[in-house]
Amino acid sequence: MKKEGEELLLPFLKIRVMNNKKEWVSGYLFILPSLILLIILVFYPLFLTFIYSFYDMSLTSASARYLGWEAFQKLSRNRMLSLIFNNSLTWTILVVFFQFLLGLGSALLLNKSFVGRTLLRGIVILPWVMPGVIAGMAWRLIYDPQLGLLNHYLQTLGIINQPLTWLSSPTMALYAVIFAAIWKGFPFSTIMYLAGLQGVPPELYEAAEIDGANERKKLSHVTLPCIKPVITVTLLLTFIWTFNYFELVYIMTGGGPAEKSHIFPTYIYDLAFKRFRFGDASRFAVVDFLFLLIFSLFYVRLSFRSEESS
Amino acid sequence: MSGSVLEVRKVHDQEKKPEQIITFIFALLLAIFVIFPFVVMVSMSLKTPGEQFTSPPYLIPHRPTLSNYLHVFGRGSMFAQYFLNSLLIASVSTLIVLGVSVFSSYGYARMDFPGKNVFLVLLLLSQLFPLAAIIVPLYRIMGNLKLIDSYFSLIIGYLVFSVPVGVWLLRSFFLGIPRELEEAAIIDGCTRFQAFWKIVIPLVRPGMGATAAYIFFITWQEFMFALTFITSEAKRTLPVGIFDFVGQYETNWGNLMAASILICIPVFILFLFVQKQLVGGLTQGAIKG
Repeated sequence: MKKEGEELLLPFLKIRVMNNKKEWVSGYLFILPSLILLIILVFYPLFLTFIYSFYDMSLTSASARYLGWEAFQKLSRNRMLSLIFNNSLTWTILVVFFQFLLGLGSALLLNKSFVGRTLLRGIVILPWVMPGVIAGMAWRLIYDPQLGLLNHYLQTLGIINQPLTWLSSPTMALYAVIFAAIWKGFPFSTIMYLAGLQGVPPELYEAAEIDGANERKKLSHVTLPCIKPVITVTLLLTFIWTFNYFELVYIMTGGGPAEKSHIFPTYIYDLAFKRFRFGDASRFAVVDFLFLLIFSLFYVRLSFRSEESS
Repeated sequence: MSGSVLEVRKVHDQEKKPEQIITFIFALLLAIFVIFPFVVMVSMSLKTPGEQFTSPPYLIPHRPTLSNYLHVFGRGSMFAQYFLNSLLIASVSTLIVLGVSVFSSYGYARMDFPGKNVFLVLLLLSQLFPLAAIIVPLYRIMGNLKLIDSYFSLIIGYLVFSVPVGVWLLRSFFLGIPRELEEAAIIDGCTRFQAFWKIVIPLVRPGMGATAAYIFFITWQEFMFALTFITSEAKRTLPVGIFDFVGQYETNWGNLMAASILICIPVFILFLFVQKQLVGGLTQGAIKG
């Protein structure tokens, strides 16, 4: 115990030795280029978006009119806001949940030994590596009512009687894109969980076996607790990325039919560059950002608390 | 004696057999699920126009042809130009990001200075909003600088999301290198910068390769900025350019899928080479962060 404590202290002792003014200066010099870029290219535009959100503003800045808080009162009465919010939550929660299941399942599978495992490990990653635009086009082809193989197979199997228009149906369009998004993104979860699984010490499984644990017990009492930190991080990352994922929805449905499948990023883009309503676009962007910020803060606090208690 | 060992083994194998079959079935299902869209793409890219529109559709072309691929590079097609544009923009962006983030990530990984954690949090915060949230101000800034419809608009725009990713990834590679090496070099009379440049950089080279590949990959496929900042046909990049094959009334699926496969190939090859490094960096970066 004592030895462990000393080891923990060691880095701090070292830092103190090296910690002088010169180190500060060179530290700042090293991070300066990226910091400047970050401020100019990320935080300054973000600040401008907040400013724009208080204006009624279109393509030409000459016509900008200051609205103040009234702008957000108007936004709260905008019936598109609740639709976009619902869609974004449905989209994100379903995609993240199924990517988690599929990612964990495939990682457990790929951690076993079987013929062709190396090949499958290489193949599994492909959907995540392929450009989003192309994934969107490929799924458009699969869903196509006439040319698509999905309808054909489902009809052959007798599951449906006539071709369905997946992407142009107001009720199904979003869910059809959700399925494609699960396919596109789950390999990232697979990679993360596979790396996590490979870090679980084999002794733990041996000990569990001696205690008479079956496969299910081993999963819930050894595997999952061991990879919990990886799960926590992966869920947060996939949540943020999915919430902000633009390409698939934009390519596959364009937010349609009748704006029923829009999520935040696609609707913001449409407002800005199809209708040139920069003010409205900025307000939706602010809501998007604040929601993710608050969500992430809560998530991080909650996961830290549960880590401390366990 | 040896007979009984063999027997025990046999029994063990028999117990394992059903389990292995189940594993194999799941592996097969996973493979089909992952590959199916790619098979659809390849199939369509090999079909003649007549076969493309046959109803009901089928997977294996009766008379496979490469004419779609030839068409993509053929007369009247801008594909080769788009390819060069994409290559140029992705390469230049990658070089800039690498140059900037190699110093910054080292600073974050190794040096100690007031406010370091604040800057790290800022770096993470920059991942929280959609690009759509800052595209309006960026568009106006580019407009004021007369950069709209230039390669620079995309190269600068791509720094927005690739610098934070580059710094974060490289930082995790630096963290994986033992501190003692630099300390030994400094004791031997190297300056801090020499220790960084001569000792650490060579060691982190594989990590730099993986980071470069990842940055190339995300800039190669970027769509929203490319769609917005570039207005003239000759300067388009591939993700926007393939929409040439999507007509207002009819989509040329054969050409579109052939072009799509050609766009995928460079990134797939790139990934093949850096997969191991990159996975290490991504998982380490996420967990240590």
